[in-house]
Amino acid sequence: MKINLSRQNIYLLSLSTFLFLFVLFFAFALLIPKGKEYRNKKADLKSENVELTRYTDFRNDVLERLTDLKSKNRNIMQALDRNFNAYRFEKQHRTYFKSLTIAPKLEVVNEKEFRVYEVKTTSQINSPKSFYDFLDALNKGDWIISINFPINFKRENDMISSSFTMKVYGVNQDENTTQSTVSK
Amino acid sequence: MRYSYIRPREKSMLTPEIQLLAVFFGITIIMLFFTYFFLLFKDYQFTNDRIETTEQKERAQVEIKNMQQQIEFIEKESYLAERIFTKNEVLKDSIANMFDLVPPRITLSEAQLLDNGLVLYGITPNKDVYNFMLQAPLRSIFHRTYSSFYPAENGWIRFVSTNYIDNDDIEEGEIYED
Repeated sequence: MKINLSRQNIYLLSLSTFLFLFVLFFAFALLIPKGKEYRNKKADLKSENVELTRYTDFRNDVLERLTDLKSKNRNIMQALDRNFNAYRFEKQHRTYFKSLTIAPKLEVVNEKEFRVYEVKTTSQINSPKSFYDFLDALNKGDWIISINFPINFKRENDMISSSFTMKVYGVNQDENTTQSTVSK
Repeated sequence: MRYSYIRPREKSMLTPEIQLLAVFFGITIIMLFFTYFFLLFKDYQFTNDRIETTEQKERAQVEIKNMQQQIEFIEKESYLAERIFTKNEVLKDSIANMFDLVPPRITLSEAQLLDNGLVLYGITPNKDVYNFMLQAPLRSIFHRTYSSFYPAENGWIRFVSTNYIDNDDIEEGEIYED
């Protein structure tokens, strides 16, 4: 059997074969791997986005909690940030005493986060009621102060002279600068 | 010498069949290239988006960590303040109880409130009044109670009452140390 192919047909056949092979090569060598890569990256991005959404939601929850805590504890935070001022303290609490003397503050504890100052106080009161009122006022005052033992009460004619030690608590500014900066 | 009356037509490589084939494969190749470049562009876009997402995630992590540190610190501040407020309240009640404990017939001249005890100085009409009306309740509160008496100028008796609670029962440590 003799196959009679014209030159024209040979050109046509060879060009078709070449182009067909090129398409096959292009598809399998480049297009399909790239398509797989595209699919993988799309899935990765989707999972990253899901994770980011989770982080964002959690961050919003934490932020809400922080804002809530800050608003609830604003007075405490301000009180701990404030430096003790003996003159101002005396001015605020003079009404409870006949006389009030405050010694210079001494630093007793300087821990990582909080600093504690000790202030020795002597005073004269009319009755123990004044002292109770003073303790009530202390809890609503500008500083976080605890009254420490020993506490002495001594009768002097119609007056009671009292002496006690106050501990003034404050935030250690050096250690908490970073946190404050972030919060601002 | 001419053998034909018509002029021979020129033969070209681009026959209609080859043109058709070229158009067909041309469109196919253009589509393939278009798809390939689309994938390349998307790949680039995904890579950029992923980098950005990772950065956002890291930023969120840092923010969360900072906020949690702040929360922890505010809770510490709040706890410290609450304990001090409670301590002051308890102290107020203790002093009130101490003064309430002293009967009207006994007059105190001095009171020392200590970490683990109470020292009272005063004057009593007689020892019995002191023993029944002051020492008895003091004994029920403190573990160790010591009393000493000496006469006053007006015939009454001066007393010094020293009362201690044993250290085991005292809540140890300062507020801050807790």
